[in-house]
Amino acid sequence: MYRGRLERDLRQWTAQGLIDAPTAGRLLAEYDSRPSSFSLGRVLMIIAALLVSAAVLLLVAANWEFIPRILRLVGIVGLIWSAYLAGAMLLMRGFERLAAAFLVLGTLSFGGAIALVGQMYHLSGDTFQAMLVWFAGAVVAAALFRSGSVTAIVGFLAFAVAGMNWFGPSGADEAVLLWLMPLLAVIVILLVRYTDAPRVRHLAYLLLVAWLAFIYGENETPQTAIAIAALGAVAYLAAAVPQSPLQALARSAGAAPAFYSYLVLLLGLFVLHAEFDTVGDRLILGIVTLAGAVAGIALSGKENGAVRYLGYAAFAAETLYLASETIGSIIGTSGFFLVAGLVMALIAWAVIVLERRFSKAESRLEA
Amino acid sequence: MTISRTFRLPPLVAGILAAALQTAVIGYMVESRASILRSGADIRLKTAPVDPRDLLRGDYVTLSYPISTIPSSIVTGKPPQASGVARLSVRLEPGADGLWTATEASFSTLPAQEGSVVLRTLPFHYYSPGEDSLPDNLFVTYGLERYYVPEGEGRVLEDARNAEELEVEARVSRDGTPQIARLILRGEPVYDEPLY
Repeated sequence: MYRGRLERDLRQWTAQGLIDAPTAGRLLAEYDSRPSSFSLGRVLMIIAALLVSAAVLLLVAANWEFIPRILRLVGIVGLIWSAYLAGAMLLMRGFERLAAAFLVLGTLSFGGAIALVGQMYHLSGDTFQAMLVWFAGAVVAAALFRSGSVTAIVGFLAFAVAGMNWFGPSGADEAVLLWLMPLLAVIVILLVRYTDAPRVRHLAYLLLVAWLAFIYGENETPQTAIAIAALGAVAYLAAAVPQSPLQALARSAGAAPAFYSYLVLLLGLFVLHAEFDTVGDRLILGIVTLAGAVAGIALSGKENGAVRYLGYAAFAAETLYLASETIGSIIGTSGFFLVAGLVMALIAWAVIVLERRFSKAESRLEA
Repeated sequence: MTISRTFRLPPLVAGILAAALQTAVIGYMVESRASILRSGADIRLKTAPVDPRDLLRGDYVTLSYPISTIPSSIVTGKPPQASGVARLSVRLEPGADGLWTATEASFSTLPAQEGSVVLRTLPFHYYSPGEDSLPDNLFVTYGLERYYVPEGEGRVLEDARNAEELEVEARVSRDGTPQIARLILRGEPVYDEPLY
């Protein structure tokens, strides 16, 4: 990842005499001291917390008669209190990483307590509500402690809530259920910003993409697909065009907003390929898709590698698709492979030209 | 949107707040059910003729009841005009054998009556066959359909259930929420449910 590339670049710059070795060492040390940098200790500690939590959840599920159930209830509530208080003590002493593990344990034990109540009173048909209560409790804990690790739990619970909403009988109003997933995603994104847990952002964006897929699944019409593609295009332009008032906000979230909105645009165009069946419609669609691919590469190609590669892939796939749809039907299957080969060569040439233009623009900027 | 990184609740306050809030939620969930067991109206139901497992709550026995099938003949009042999520109120009355059966059902609320108990079904998806008509049978759930048992002990109850020897005693709150109070196997109570 980034640290590996940084180390390699620093070594190269030192060898070229651009910086001296002690400076390179100090730069690397500064990076390692950031709280967001990878720490094996923290990762292993969180894994330990997850294992202990799984043990607690399974102990509840086993419904073990050896422990009277009132004792189980008191025990699990006691576990919540000790985990949060231990987390708080460790935070006050500055052991952020160890504290995160205890906060995760406390939040997952809360889920265990909810399951225990359901088991004690033989509740059925309430799984959605139970997951929603767990989610809300985790949100409160993440906000109160400003904890990035608990925010990650919130991100996964959002998926669990959404999944129960799809598959289980939930009983809530359907209009509410339709807007539940974007609402969950917004809550997760707000928490991500408040608790500074940038990696969890991907869970929120994936939830939104899944929501759009769900909407399309409910209404499989060309109109829905066009609306999804248009939404993706608008969101992508808002995130990527320098003149957009939202660009600064999107940039503060890194490469993700531009990438996921671009992904939505391409997914919308992709399902439209299945919706449209006349050759004329498909040709127009093909031209729109190619234009979208080139626009993505041109607008975000330089600073957003994820969008660039998605653009290349879409461009290549669409060109091959068009070749098979229109040219291929005329000259037959054997000719198709020849054309596809030539088209591939053309794509390669176009990519090389684009890459060269980027590096030229870069050197002109530096000059 | 930059929030000052320096602001943070004192951790101890955060800890106490988070734990107290979550404890309050658990306490509320427990009490809302215990109160039904304590003061709800008593009913007794026959269970009709699976060892499934819930990931978080463990093994359970699936129960279904004759009152889960509501024939359209006992439905009073207007049915919903369109398909959608609906709930039924179901009036239960005791028979000579002590088992309660459904005698009346309505999409609106049923008034309380001496000698009967009104149950609220869980919301279900109602498919309207057309205006002012009903399907022959409505299949509903009450939140009484699972009985959680210690790991591996579900088989005996399932056999009894399949032999139609299993009955359920439930208590019903004033708003129509039922709560399993006792499981009766061949006339003998098993797994008596304590309040907590």
